[in-house]
Amino acid sequence: MKQKTDVLQGTLALMVLKTLDVLGPLHGYGIARRIEQISGDLLAVNQGTLYPVLLKLEQEGAIESEWGASENNRRARFYRLTREGRKQLQAETKDWEQTAAIIRRFFDAKAEDLS
Amino acid sequence: MKSLKRFLSRVSHFVTRRRDDERLKEEIEQHIALQTAENLRGGLSPVEARRQAMLKFGGVEAMKQDYRAERGLLFIENLLGDLRNAGRTISRMPGLAAVIIVSLAIGIGVNTTIFSWIQMILFQPLPAVTGASNFLLVEPRSDTAGYPGASWLEYRDLQTHVPALRDIVASQMVPFNVGQPGQTERTHGQLVSGNFFSALGLKPAIGRFIRPEEAERSGTEPVIVISYDYWQTRFRGAPEAVGQKLRVNDRDLIVVGVAPKDFQGTMLPLKFELWVPATMTPALLGGTRDLEDRTSRGFSLIGMLRPGASRQEAQAECSTAMARLARDYPDASAGFGGEILAFWEAPRGPQRLLISGLAILQGVMLLLLLAVCGNTANLMLARGSTRQREMAVRVALGAGRWRIVSLVLSENMLLALLGAGLGAAFAVWGTTALRIAPMIGAFPILFPTKVDQFTLAFAIVLGAACGLIFSAAPAVHLARLDPQDRLRSSSNTPPRSRARKVLMGVEVGLAMVVLIAAALFLQSFRSARQTDPRFRPEGVLLAAYDLSGRNPDDASEREFAARLLERLRSLPDVEAAAIATNVPVDLHGIPRRPFTVEGRVRTEPGQDRAISNTVTPGYFKVMAIPLLEGNDFADMRDKAAPAQAIVNEEFVRRYLNGADAIGRRLQTRTQTFAIIGVARNSAYDALGEPPQPAVYFSYRDRPADQGEIHLRTRSGNETALTSEARTVLRDVDPMLPLYDVRTFSQHIERNLYLRRIPARMFAVLGPLLLGLAAIGIYAVVSYAVARRTREIGVRLAFGATSGRVVLQIIRENLAAIAWGTAIGWVLALAISFHVMTKGPVNLPVFLGVPAILLSVATLACWIPARRASRIDPVAALRHE
Repeated sequence: MKQKTDVLQGTLALMVLKTLDVLGPLHGYGIARRIEQISGDLLAVNQGTLYPVLLKLEQEGAIESEWGASENNRRARFYRLTREGRKQLQAETKDWEQTAAIIRRFFDAKAEDLS
Repeated sequence: MKSLKRFLSRVSHFVTRRRDDERLKEEIEQHIALQTAENLRGGLSPVEARRQAMLKFGGVEAMKQDYRAERGLLFIENLLGDLRNAGRTISRMPGLAAVIIVSLAIGIGVNTTIFSWIQMILFQPLPAVTGASNFLLVEPRSDTAGYPGASWLEYRDLQTHVPALRDIVASQMVPFNVGQPGQTERTHGQLVSGNFFSALGLKPAIGRFIRPEEAERSGTEPVIVISYDYWQTRFRGAPEAVGQKLRVNDRDLIVVGVAPKDFQGTMLPLKFELWVPATMTPALLGGTRDLEDRTSRGFSLIGMLRPGASRQEAQAECSTAMARLARDYPDASAGFGGEILAFWEAPRGPQRLLISGLAILQGVMLLLLLAVCGNTANLMLARGSTRQREMAVRVALGAGRWRIVSLVLSENMLLALLGAGLGAAFAVWGTTALRIAPMIGAFPILFPTKVDQFTLAFAIVLGAACGLIFSAAPAVHLARLDPQDRLRSSSNTPPRSRARKVLMGVEVGLAMVVLIAAALFLQSFRSARQTDPRFRPEGVLLAAYDLSGRNPDDASEREFAARLLERLRSLPDVEAAAIATNVPVDLHGIPRRPFTVEGRVRTEPGQDRAISNTVTPGYFKVMAIPLLEGNDFADMRDKAAPAQAIVNEEFVRRYLNGADAIGRRLQTRTQTFAIIGVARNSAYDALGEPPQPAVYFSYRDRPADQGEIHLRTRSGNETALTSEARTVLRDVDPMLPLYDVRTFSQHIERNLYLRRIPARMFAVLGPLLLGLAAIGIYAVVSYAVARRTREIGVRLAFGATSGRVVLQIIRENLAAIAWGTAIGWVLALAISFHVMTKGPVNLPVFLGVPAILLSVATLACWIPARRASRIDPVAALRHE
């Protein structure tokens, strides 16, 4: 159970970083929408879980936030990727690709390949 | 790096947590508003749109929890919560909390005070000097002479030959006569080497210190450094003091500087006021040859360990250096070795004695504190049980075991630390009160104890340890609860906790040990005071003079004493007057000298030694010690009579088998004496001691440069003689101060001082501990009784008399108390056998104390028991 949320949080953080990298400064709702659009229903139920992740990233210095005006002209908090966050994104993207490649190779491996 | 950043950010969020909550709320609202707008665009009704938006967002509260856990320091927030809760709980039980805090404060305060003393002796032996514990003593030592100190020339040699010690400094304690003729005052100072102040790393309060070159050549630089207190009292702290002249031993010395505040010399606890270059010794002390004579060993040496060097290295170098000196100067240094010692091991000071005494005291006081902890544990356990329901509710609502434990712990810790704080305040008060110590002997002493950061840390650690100790039982007890069980049953099924009774027993046992120790101390002290000294101290005035600064010869010393006595005896109120070198019942004891006596053949190897005192004629009259045989000594100016000695009864019994002593010859190392009289036994070292053999020599035959004047008054008002005695001495020699003037009774009191400290301490602590034990018993019993209200009600309803109920409650609790008493009694007996080897077991104490303790314990049981037996059975059954 705990394991699962940890994994989710980790992937969520990466998604947030990537989203901000691609779309520039966004408020929480915007980030949630974007992730929802791309990831299907991963975040459909619990959009709220995004906020602790945003806080953690901000504490780590990967993103910054400031108040701004949203599309409906209300005060909204906009998150922006920092230079450090960009570096983190690159590093983690690489990690993910490597991991994914390894896992894929394992899944693709057939019995005769291992003997 | 990242985690550090996160931590810092968490700390800052912890501080701004309220504003952060606002921010989150706003973000959530905005999020939901945007989603609702989106849903409206999708064609939903406004209500449904908002509902969907909120569903999509998920559980707000759970998310907030996550957010908070992510944001702040959950641990500290919990702790603060616990502390708030603890504060509330404690404020709900002010009486109980007060008892606990005050009893802890007393225990911790006493321990902290003692620790501050031990700390001072071990780590701060040089007040006002930083890094004092790095200084070591360098002590020449011979098998025959013990630790006589170092000679000046020896010091010069050791200074260069023990490189492991940086800058060895030498000092010698000297009493000076300071002031103009006729108004001199005895003031203690140190003759010091030129590097004294610089090696100690001191900075003058004003002026400068003695320069190294001022202690190079003999007698050329008449400079003096005064203490801060001396500056304040004699010069009113005026800066013009520097440059003024001070008349010391009839010589003008120029004040060049003032030592820093609190510096009191290098022989704790002695307090010195003056420092003079050692090279002034011949000029100030009547031309002594101290600086050239290798056998004149008066200097104490200390040196700071060079960084990186070890005490073993210093010891090895010192041994080598001393061995070479023994080879080069066999006359003076043969048989001498050298030892490197820490301050508390000082061979010529009270430190060693103090440390062992204090260590014992600390042990006893820690036991006391343990008893207080037991008491508190008992009270907390009792209270903890009444809170079982509260705890059960907490567990049922999802509190983990650790949360329960930490809740109990934080309550107790708060109590303990409040106790420690108050205890530290007690300690501050206690150490300042103890700083005002009287002079011991003729030396002004000051124990510069203070509560510093180490002492405070000690108090806090002690408090925390206490908190842990008395939290353990209740915490474990409460955390083991099964909530269902607790909630279902009502509170009147008491868990019969053995722990409480065991604790009660232990506490009573401890009280037993301390009470017996207190009683033994008090008794030995009182019996010592009431013992007949076998001389008559009432109506005798004592005063001392010291000619050592003049370097006088035998003839002038004899003449001085004779003239002084003549003048004193002519005073109208003086019945008898005498001078002696030693006063009985002195803190430092009376010297013992080896001798041989005609008619005594010693079978075993070694030498006979007897207490020896050198007295003038008239001494026995002043002291009211009857001469059983023979006569008093010949007149001081009698040149014809041979050297004389008077022995005491015990001497005759032990060395002459009771045979006739008169006329026998007694030989010391240097002289032969004829025994001319036998005096009655009296006390010499302490009151109540077994008889000791003693020899009195005549002042005429062995004059000395120091003397204790003994005056017996006619009127019985000895203090009235003080000013007349001063006038007489001033007439005989205007430069000589009379010092250490006291009545004989005061002298005895003063020397009972050290015995009085522990006696007083125990006299206070014994009843205190008894009180604590009584509180403990009372708490346990009244709690147990309250828990059994219904049971007692049933008994009474079935016809039990209240007397029976009371008896049963007392019997149940007294069993545990009796066990504790018995174990404590045996322990005390064992200790008394171990410590007080002499004499039989003190029956009144060993029977009386348990009797008192058991009656108090019974009373403490009886009060709550009686209250319980008076309840209305009907009300009791409706209870709950």
